[in-house]
Formats: sequence, C-alpha cells, structure tokens
Amino acid sequence: MEKTMKAERQPSRVQAFLHSDAFRALVPLISLAVMLVAMNILTGGKMLTPKKIRLLVGQVYAPMIAATGVFFIMTLGSIDFTEGSTLGVCSCVIAILSRLDSPIAVPLSILCGILCGAVIGAINGFFHVKFKLASFIVTICTMYLFRGICAYLTTESAIPAAKAITVLDGMEFFEIGGFSVGLKMVITLLVLVTAFILFRFTRIGNDVKAVGSGETAARFSGVRTDRVKFLAFAVAGALTGLAAFVNVIKVGSITATAGNQLETQILIGLVLGGLPITGGAKVRFSNIVCGMLMYFVLDNGLTIMGFDSAPQQLIKGVIFLIFVALTVDRKALKVIK
Amino acid sequence: MEKNILLRAEHIDKRFGITHAVNDVSLTVNAGEIRGLIGENGSGKSTFSQMLCGIYTIGGGTFTLNGKELHVRNQVEANDAGVSIIVQETGTLSGLTVAENIFLGHEKPFIRHGIKNTPAMNREAQRLLDEYGFGRIRAGMMIDHYNFEDRKLVEIVKATYMKPLILIVDETTTALSQDGRMELYKIMDRTRADGRTVIFISHDLQEVLAHTDTVSVLRDGEYIDTVASADMTEDDLKRLMVGREIGSAYYRTDWGTPVSDEVVLRAENVTVPGLIRDVSFELHRGEILGFGGLSESGMHEIGKAVFGASWDRTGRVVLADGTEINDIPTAIAHSIAYTSKDRDNESVIVNETIRNNTVLPSIEDLAHGRLLIKRELDRFAKENAEKMQTKMQSTGQFVSDLSGGNKQKVVLARWIGKNSDILVLDSPTRGIDVKVKQAIYALMQELKEQGRSIIMISEELPELMGMADRILIVRDGSISGEYLRDPNLDEETLIAKMV
Repeated sequence: MEKTMKAERQPSRVQAFLHSDAFRALVPLISLAVMLVAMNILTGGKMLTPKKIRLLVGQVYAPMIAATGVFFIMTLGSIDFTEGSTLGVCSCVIAILSRLDSPIAVPLSILCGILCGAVIGAINGFFHVKFKLASFIVTICTMYLFRGICAYLTTESAIPAAKAITVLDGMEFFEIGGFSVGLKMVITLLVLVTAFILFRFTRIGNDVKAVGSGETAARFSGVRTDRVKFLAFAVAGALTGLAAFVNVIKVGSITATAGNQLETQILIGLVLGGLPITGGAKVRFSNIVCGMLMYFVLDNGLTIMGFDSAPQQLIKGVIFLIFVALTVDRKALKVIK
Repeated sequence: MEKNILLRAEHIDKRFGITHAVNDVSLTVNAGEIRGLIGENGSGKSTFSQMLCGIYTIGGGTFTLNGKELHVRNQVEANDAGVSIIVQETGTLSGLTVAENIFLGHEKPFIRHGIKNTPAMNREAQRLLDEYGFGRIRAGMMIDHYNFEDRKLVEIVKATYMKPLILIVDETTTALSQDGRMELYKIMDRTRADGRTVIFISHDLQEVLAHTDTVSVLRDGEYIDTVASADMTEDDLKRLMVGREIGSAYYRTDWGTPVSDEVVLRAENVTVPGLIRDVSFELHRGEILGFGGLSESGMHEIGKAVFGASWDRTGRVVLADGTEINDIPTAIAHSIAYTSKDRDNESVIVNETIRNNTVLPSIEDLAHGRLLIKRELDRFAKENAEKMQTKMQSTGQFVSDLSGGNKQKVVLARWIGKNSDILVLDSPTRGIDVKVKQAIYALMQELKEQGRSIIMISEELPELMGMADRILIVRDGSISGEYLRDPNLDEETLIAKMV
C-alpha cells in the first residue's frame, strides 16, 4: 500500500497550476490585457487615449447587456442567433411607442420593448424545448423571421424615436476622473452585477452549468432541465429588449439594419473571453466582460489601423476560428444543442 | 510448452491530464495462450489494451508484435496489423446493416470501380455468421433490429473473422447471457488452438481463472506480476489486485431477520409502453428489495418509473403519506434516491466537478436564503466524499478523471448527503472492482439497519441472493416470480423464471 500511495500521480507544480481554478480564472483577464497591449502597439499608441476609450465604452453597453443573456444560453451548451433581429424589432417597438401622446409613453415604451424581447426569447425557448429542436436551427429560423418584421416596419422610412426618450442618452449622474457615469453605464452595471450574483451564488447558475455539462444526468439529479432552458431563452430575449432601449437612446432613429451582426459580435466576444462553445462547468462569468471588451478593442483597433469592413470581417473570422479551436472542451464535444 | 513471445510491451506509459493511467508497464505475451488482464477500476487495464489497438495514442514506450514495432493510429490499422478488440460498451454502429458493421473499414474486397457489391458482402457476412453458429442473425438486416446481446455477437464476429494474432476481449462477458458466454469461450479456445493469443479482461475472477492460462495484474497503472492461472485462487488474485488481504465476507450473513410490515412505497399497475406492463409491488421499511431479470426484461425501467423519470408512464407510484411520484424533483424532495445503470450519462455529470455533482440534489437544503456559499458546498461535498472514501485530489476535480468505482462513490455520496430514505440502486456494482463492491454492500447493510429501504436492480444473481430480503424476477416487462431471502435459494430457480 505504501508503494502505491507514493507512486500515485505526482503532477509537476506547473501542471497543477495550469489545471487550477485560480489560473483558469485569470485566463480571460490575461487575454484582455494582451489584446489591449497588442492593439495599442499595432496602432502606434492611438488605442489607449481617453477619447478612444470613451468611444469604445460607448459602443459596448448594448452588446454587453445582450451578451449577458446569451452567456446563460451558451452555458447551457445552446446557442442563440436572434439577438440582432430581436434588438431590431424591440428598437422599432420602443421608438414607435415613445412617440405616443401620453405622459407615460417613455416608461411604457421601455417596458414593452423588454416584454417584446421576452416574448421572442420565449418563442425560441418554446420551440427548442417542446419540439426538441436544436437551438441553432430554431434561432436561425426566427432570426430571419424577426429580421423580416424589422425590415417591414422600417420599409417606408427610418423610425425616429421621441425626443423625450433620446434625451436619456445624455443623462449623467456624476463624474469620476473625466468619466461621466451615465444612465447606460448604470443599467449595464446593474445587469452585470445581478447576473453575476445569479450565476455564482444561486441555484440558477448551478442548474445552468449542470445542464451544459450533462443534461441527462442533471435531469436525474433533480434539475428541471426544460424549465431552465426555456427561462434562459426568455431572459436572454428580455435582456436584448433592454439592450434595444440603450440602442434607441443612442442612435435616435431605427433603420432596417438595426442590430445587424449583433449575434456574431456577441458570439465572437464570448468565445474570445474564453467561453467554451460547449458550455458547462468551465464557463466563467468573466468571459462576458472580458470577451465583449476584447471584441470591441479588436474592432476599434482594426478600424484605427485603417482596415475596411471587408478585411476586418476576414481577420475577425480567422481569430474567431482560432479561439474556438483553442477553447473548445473536446472531452465534452457533441453537437451544440 | 515452448515459450514463443508474440507481443512485447516495453515501458508503456499514458497520462490523462494529471492522472497517470498507465505507468511504465512492461510485459510479454506468448503465442498460443489466453492471458487474463486484471486489476481494480482505474488500474489501467482498459487504457493499456486500448493503446495496443489504436483507440488511444501511445503515451510512451513501444509495443512489438512478432518482432515488428507496432504503430497503429486507429482500429482499422490495428486490425491490419493483427490486433482486434471487443469492447465493453456497444461497439456496433446503428443505422448500418449487420454485414456493414462486420466489414466496417474492410469494405475493399467488395468494392468494384467505387461501387459496393452489397449482395456479395451480405453473402460473405452470412457465411461467417453461420460458421460461428449465429445463423439466426441475418446479415442484411439493420443492426438496430437486434438486441444488445446479439449485437455483441456481431461484434465478436467482426473482431475475430480476420483471425487476428491478438484478440482483446474487454469486459465483454457482462453483456452476454450464459449461452453467449459459452460461444465466446469457444472462440477464445479456438484462437489459442491456432497458436494465436487472447488477452482477456474481466472483473469476474472465477471466470478469469477458469478460462485463462496466465494472468497479469495491474494496480494503479503499474504492472504487478504475471502468474499461472492454475496455481491461483480467487483470493490470491484479489490480494495481488488490491495489494492487501481482502475478507471474503462480502454479502449479508443474516438469514431470516423479519422485515417491518410498514409499507413506504407502493407501485400500482405501473406501465411504460414497450418496456413494462402492469407492475405492482410494495416496498417495506428497512427492506432490500431485489429485482432480477435479463437486461432487456424491463427491470431497469422499473427503477426509473419509481423515480418519476419514465416518459409516458401510467399507473401510480405512491408513498406512505399518499404523495404520488410523477416527476424527478418530487421524488427527490420526498427522499427518493436513484443511481442509474448508465452511470456516465444518467448518474454523474462527468464534465463537472465532484463538488457540484455531490451538491446537486441537496442544493436547496444548502442555500442560505437563496444564496449558495462555495465554502459550504465544498464542506458538504468533502464530508460525504470522505464518508464514502472516494479517491480524489480535491472536490474541485472533474468526475471524468475518476475510475468507474470512484464515480459510483460520488453518486452514492450525493444521496447519502441528501439523507434519502428510499434508494433505488440500479446495477450499483456494475463494472466495479472487489474493494469498492465490498464497500457498497456494507453501505447497503448500514442503510438497511438505519431503517431505510432499498430497491436493488441487478443482473448479477449472486449479488441479489446475497443482499436482498426479497427478490422479484422480471420477464418481458412483468413480474414473473417472487422469492424471499433464503440460503437454499439457487440460481437455477431464478433463471427458470427469467427466460
């Protein structure tokens, strides 16, 4: 017995560290730092100027909010391609309702926007859960459907939002070191903090991870898997509705292309942040924040470097592919649900 | 007997992450012998043999077959080199015909100008099946048409028709009935008579002793010894595997202890279309109720039905207080536990940590308000893992790194932690080595003494006869016989009710 105990797996310290929770927690942060430094060098220091940082942060709010919902879906091992079209439709709803001649037009429009997103998410979730269709199939179909609705609503002309709602864009609470803390930032932070608590410290996060790691076994352990999946899609839709509000106050008028490519931005962002595309236990909350920031650092960096959108897409595609290949958990690999 | 070395393994090594699965194993196998390969779960015997036949890449060291170093990258190449394997789990592909399965990767002789000659392939496959005496299996049929055991027979044909120099039989016999086993033994004997070699992996030591010439023992990934089967007893082998003396008192030794009259769970006319029909029984307080039968008899579904996990079940499962069990969360909330025969898919989440696997059913009890505290979860997981003596590095280790026996301990620890009163244990010792088996039997006895009730579903009759207070035999989805605990009960009586 002595002999077996001694012979038992003595991993080297480096190996143990690479497998440790602490290291895995650091990976997204390290990647973000590397990306920032690399982009700053490649752009000749034009990246980390206060103006550019403000611009970047301004871009990141709406996608970050929507990404938080997608994060839960991807943790389940599913995928959602509807964010862009959902954002488009919800933006239309918010813009149209904001012009109602009523004192409660603004809160009503925000509420209806979120509700509209929740309904779209619930439709996705319903087809995914009840008919047991793979989520990427369902959401590709609904993506076309809602993109169509968005295009229909904006055929005549762009939909302008009421002044009463667009003024919220400039709403600021206070300033820290030249940075104003506005409504958009507060909303985004509230969403992130709430989601973080749900993910890390409640049963919801545990259940979502369990389904992502092994749905059947999770069901046999008492997780109400169908309910968890349905709720994740509905909540992701609602969050996209909230993101639509942030989008409306920023852009002021909604065109057919509202939210275009949002789903791919989120997908690339989350994967850059280290989220394994199979979901499950190795997902970390920092994947959202670091990932979305990385995406926009990359995006802005490429623009500053003078790339047109076509070569930008090519570069992003290559980077995305490399990251998926690197982060995927091959042991857990199966078709994305 | 002249010693003609056929296979030489030198310094074979394999790591999975930080787990050292096979640690510098060197051994030789002679031509014309049946070599047993035994060891506890996680001793590395499957990993070793799967490297030999190209399923895993070789981590280090060399295999030399007939003087030539072996470099195979997959099973087809291994077959061409003269090594084939019959695996533990299903090795046939559904959606293909029997013939297509047999010649998978070896279709070439039947292909002319890129077109497969299906009739010729079927004819050849049928000829082989007839030759093996499995003529009732038709080569042109879809494999899905046949049950698990027949598919295993097809696999046996697939692995042996090309007369491999080395045939590896990895835990195949647990999937076979007595007849199927006899067929397999015959094939092994024929292989030896031809001067070729069989490597036979099994947990059933009696079987190993009866059908092998020599036995090699692995322990914790290391090579221990090779011994002549004729000189060995089961206890000798156990000692080599475990590295210490193991008591032979395995099962319960009490007979005729009365069981309480108090009924804790009642199943009434439980039916699951296509699987079980009109199953009714009562489970008493402190009772170990055994279910026996062939693996396809439907008895495994009974466990799922009791746990509320069956899809379109009719009939009722009722607890003493009148609660009806219709879904899993209700079952768990009312103190019912379930361990599945399909451990890796239905019992543990293999891609999760030991901690999260252990806390999952108890998560609501562990929450403070609605918040989960990691330290608390860790303490809970650790405490229960220690109770079960799970071999692990930390509760943060992934279950996929553990051996079968340790996975089962994680499953049991979860329900011990949940303090369940009714435990449905489906094949609790399936593919598990003696040491863990013994621990599981002891645990069952302890639970019984605490007044908890156990439903034990098993394909192993000795285990049922040794542990159960009452045995229900299931045949074709219905209960066909009931036997009380009795030292004079024999296997033949039970088998007669099973088939």
